Amino acid sequence: MDIPVTDLRDRVQRFLGQVTGGDVVSMTGWERLSGGAIQENVGVTVEIAGGPCAGTHRWVVRSDAPSAVAASHSRAQEFALLTAVHAAGVRVPRPLWLCEDPPLPSFFVMERVAGAAAGHRLVKDDTLVPDRDRLAADLGENLARLHQVKPLASDLPFLGSPPPQPSHERVAAYRSSLDSLGASGVNPVLEWGLRWCERHAGGAVESVLLHRDYRTGNYLVHEGRLAAVLDWEFAGWGDALEDIGWFFARCWRFGQAARVAGGIGPAEAFLEGYAGAGGRRVTLGETRYWQVMAHIRWAVIALQQAERHRSGAQSSLELALTAHIVPELEWEILDLTEDA
Amino acid sequence: MKVEPAGAELLRVARDELLEKLLPKLPDAERYAARMVANAMAIAARELARGPSATLDTRRLSRGIRAGEHDEPGQAALLRETLRDLTRARLAVSNPRILEAKGNP
Repeated sequence: MDIPVTDLRDRVQRFLGQVTGGDVVSMTGWERLSGGAIQENVGVTVEIAGGPCAGTHRWVVRSDAPSAVAASHSRAQEFALLTAVHAAGVRVPRPLWLCEDPPLPSFFVMERVAGAAAGHRLVKDDTLVPDRDRLAADLGENLARLHQVKPLASDLPFLGSPPPQPSHERVAAYRSSLDSLGASGVNPVLEWGLRWCERHAGGAVESVLLHRDYRTGNYLVHEGRLAAVLDWEFAGWGDALEDIGWFFARCWRFGQAARVAGGIGPAEAFLEGYAGAGGRRVTLGETRYWQVMAHIRWAVIALQQAERHRSGAQSSLELALTAHIVPELEWEILDLTEDA
Repeated sequence: MKVEPAGAELLRVARDELLEKLLPKLPDAERYAARMVANAMAIAARELARGPSATLDTRRLSRGIRAGEHDEPGQAALLRETLRDLTRARLAVSNPRILEAKGNP
């Protein structure tokens, strides 16, 4: 009788033997990669003999971390998303196979892309990014390709239906998040920012596929160029400007405030790249609205993380310190809404 | 007379000890945690050193803002001053460098 295989490593090895149609001769270098708190990425080197995949491969196995939260997509959904955006020409690690074997946790295998992700290094180290305009343009072009994915022409039902008025939908969502935080969610500056967003909301827009965490730190750079965008767990339908506002927001410039495009380069290079790859022509001024929203969103997330510590759910210095980011975000919200 | 150093002073010297003597001896992987500890100590020291803060019913203010009670331009300008004061006081504890960098408008 077979003993059920529950250890992830054993499951991966067995699964690869099935899907590659060859023999898994060896699987080495099982190493946890820096990744999200929600999912775990493990890098492996796999040697396969026989079949169409014969050879040595560097792959990544992505599975749920023990502390997975419900808000993010399942591995199966994330696999479908990666497949869709890869087909649209977005730079992502190529998704290979998905393993669903309930009740065991799902995982999928993707190609391992080489490159550096650490935001504080990318914004400072010119040897990693010799041509900052070029990388900023890469990032704009890549985002434009993602924004070509539209609800009607794609098969991503788990993303739900696109909101008719994305900005109002966001305002309502963040208010509700603040309300569920109770006393910790009482914050007049965030309320001011939300009211400002409500009053300055544009009309209906055509929804596109958003990454929703498109920022420095969430992509890999190899030889100065964009190699792959990571962390797709928050993707959804919305206003294309939301992704640009998030990318530009001062809180994601890693201290390089003058380089508006993610601390990497000038906004103009990014927006040129965006328009040149099929996106619409956007001015820096047009992104201000969604930069305000970006700071509100990050503040709400920071308050939620701090509350995990405060409530005793997870005692952590890092979570406790996150609360101290909020006043800085408030200050930026006040600056951005000063003369409008 | 009390001769024991006050809490803020103890935190200051303890933080210097951590950054100058201990941090350089730590392996790279542990330095991030040590910097977080140093940051927490600095925040706590500033919190101990600051004076009493103004009291304001932020819950009521928040509700009013959401209900649109401060939309009218004159009201909004007044409100922004109040909000600046509130945030400035918290920045002075959490991250005073922001106030220095921006010249404290």
